[in-house]
Amino acid sequence: MSGTDISASSTVKERADLALNNEFLRQAVRFTTERLRSGKMTAAEQHGNWEEWRERGRQIRLHTIAHLDYYLNLFADNARANGVHVHFADTAQEAVNISLQIAERKKAHTVVKSKSMVTEELHLNHALESIGVEAVETDLGEYIIQLAGETPSHIIIPAIHKNRYQIAELLSVEAGETLPADTAILAGFVRRKLRQKFLEADIGMTGCNFAVAETGSMVLFENEGNARMVTTVPKTQITLMGMERIVPTWADLEVMATLLPRSATGQKLTVYMSGITGPRREEDADGPEEMHIIIVDNGRSLQLGDPEFQELLNCIRCGACLNACPVYRHIGGHAYGGTYSGPIGAVLTPALNKNVAEWDDIANASSLCGACYEACPVKIPLHEMLIYLRRRKVENGHGSKLESLGMKGFAAVMAKSGRFNGMLKLGKWGQKLVVRDGGIKVKLGPLKGWNSYRIAPSLPKKSFRDGWRTLEEEIRHGLKDMDPAVKSRMEAAIKKRAEGASHSHER
Amino acid sequence: MNDEHKDWLAYMDAQSRDKQMLFMNGIARKLNRPRVTEPPSHPFRGAPDFWQTFQWTEQERIEKFTDNFRSAGGHVLRLADMAEVRQFITDKSAEMSVKYVIRQNEPELDALNLESALPEVKILVWNSNSEQHWKACAAEADFGVVVADYAAAYTGSITVLSSKDKGRTVSLLPTVLIAILPVERIKTRLGEILADFDDAGGAHLPAGIHFISGPSRSADIENDLTIGVHGPGVVYALIVG
Ligand code: SF4
Repeated sequence: MSGTDISASSTVKERADLALNNEFLRQAVRFTTERLRSGKMTAAEQHGNWEEWRERGRQIRLHTIAHLDYYLNLFADNARANGVHVHFADTAQEAVNISLQIAERKKAHTVVKSKSMVTEELHLNHALESIGVEAVETDLGEYIIQLAGETPSHIIIPAIHKNRYQIAELLSVEAGETLPADTAILAGFVRRKLRQKFLEADIGMTGCNFAVAETGSMVLFENEGNARMVTTVPKTQITLMGMERIVPTWADLEVMATLLPRSATGQKLTVYMSGITGPRREEDADGPEEMHIIIVDNGRSLQLGDPEFQELLNCIRCGACLNACPVYRHIGGHAYGGTYSGPIGAVLTPALNKNVAEWDDIANASSLCGACYEACPVKIPLHEMLIYLRRRKVENGHGSKLESLGMKGFAAVMAKSGRFNGMLKLGKWGQKLVVRDGGIKVKLGPLKGWNSYRIAPSLPKKSFRDGWRTLEEEIRHGLKDMDPAVKSRMEAAIKKRAEGASHSHER
Repeated sequence: MNDEHKDWLAYMDAQSRDKQMLFMNGIARKLNRPRVTEPPSHPFRGAPDFWQTFQWTEQERIEKFTDNFRSAGGHVLRLADMAEVRQFITDKSAEMSVKYVIRQNEPELDALNLESALPEVKILVWNSNSEQHWKACAAEADFGVVVADYAAAYTGSITVLSSKDKGRTVSLLPTVLIAILPVERIKTRLGEILADFDDAGGAHLPAGIHFISGPSRSADIENDLTIGVHGPGVVYALIVG
């Protein structure tokens, strides 16, 4: 099993170097993440009581995962009662095998797919192609990167790294004529091209944002309408679903529907939210005749019962932590090398692979500033998890203590390019935040060295301030609307330290 | 469906049931406790309490729905009755040189008698015979006409439910979607609509429940907003009453 694309010889640092050379990528990522991030902040503010909603979202996710055997079982029973063929797959290979068997049974030529991180995780397109089945991504961004033979670089905007000229070039090859680099014309071409595919395809394949246990329904959020196409037009539907996607009821879905679109793009609701309950009814004139749901573990259950990582299963894949992360914003998704990028990818990829040694350099590509946690609509403490990962690496005897302690990997990435020197200082500052946070300090038992770790005594104090204005502002801004609980924890810790007077960090 | 395929599905189903038990036992083991087989008490069900009682007046619901739907790129009109709906569809058809209209098979829409209003236009009624390839019909239609089952003002969304007489593709494949929205169907919150699905239970839900909040859109090319990528690029909500 391999949940990732990484080759052993290519480190985060090398991939980041590549990313940093690409000026467009850098700007596009910054611009897009900024747009999404500010959209999210506006949406959260307009909605009001955001902290209460976050807390409610967290509680629902915690409750569901804590009783996952009950709810998942209920979902499977109900989906089956609705006429769905439910399958369980422990590994990626099993999930792939089941999908291929269905495709073979159906003598499928073409599968149309709507965006699904799980199928990316399984490398399902590749597997389908190996048995001669064409797999067509139908989300505009996914279609573009599929033509380019690449992988998504952002959960929400997968083709964030392509400019319109590159896109026009790719689509012109498909069209057999030169298309102008005009968004409306390019999108119009894709609409026509994919319309044909939808109507021809034998199988529609989707992921699943949420699955409602009480009624056995699966729910999809999207803006383009391609997920509706995929679940309505072909005769057979296959849905691949991570085993943790469950919510108990439709009432709980209201909370997720409140958090997910606002956190992902700042929308009040995505253009389409679809709840699919079983295949078409006998007397219906559209909808799939046969519907399969494949419930996938593929490393997820490794987090169950692990006090440090179980909350990873609460993730609703909104991408807000990517948009908030200063490191992601500057190196882009491909530098992470796995299916999932950004802070969530940095933790999820090694967790799913249960391979700390291979992946720890991703954990280092983070400033530990806590912006990911602040952004997360279900309050997953990703920044703490990054520290646990580093600690586990040390415990497993990988790497030097210095690496585990600090920003070495991250600093090296950033120091490589002159203009990124400021990041080095930011990194140090990021560490300081962690040290300041009393809550984390207490949990850091095995890493005792941490709280006495001196912050770059050789750097002059003002160096941070004149470091990198944007980043500074970003993080400071992030701090302003910080969760009061965390803020008071931090303030308490700083106060305590001031009383002890043994450290004198700048604020 | 051929017998061989049926047998295979039955075989897979039997396997899946065995696997299901192992899967759930594995989860319980990892969680360090016995299997949970009784419904656990769920103290955090649904939205926070303050939200559950939040209500707008009808006038506010209309205004908020209109604002939200418009800001997502949709069009909203407030019409007095179905006669005005008929007039609107007739005028729009002429304006846009419409050739095909597909509509759901509902009494309110029968009553519009679009056939006489638009003699030049081919009007198809969803699933009104079994010979037609209905999906293809929806795909070539210029207008899809539906009656919304609900709307949520807070998010600016209409809800359409599928049935024998209400195709999922009618609100998806045509170039323009026209949704008639009886004013009393506009709720304040999403949760008011979702509650009905919990009450109904799986056996009584339609195969497709679709919330639609404006025209199909994408920002995948250089963040440039594109309308009508796969679904309808023009969406009208006609509030009636
Ligand atoms: S970790 Fe939180 S912020 Fe990141 S994708 Fe998951 S839910 Fe969204």
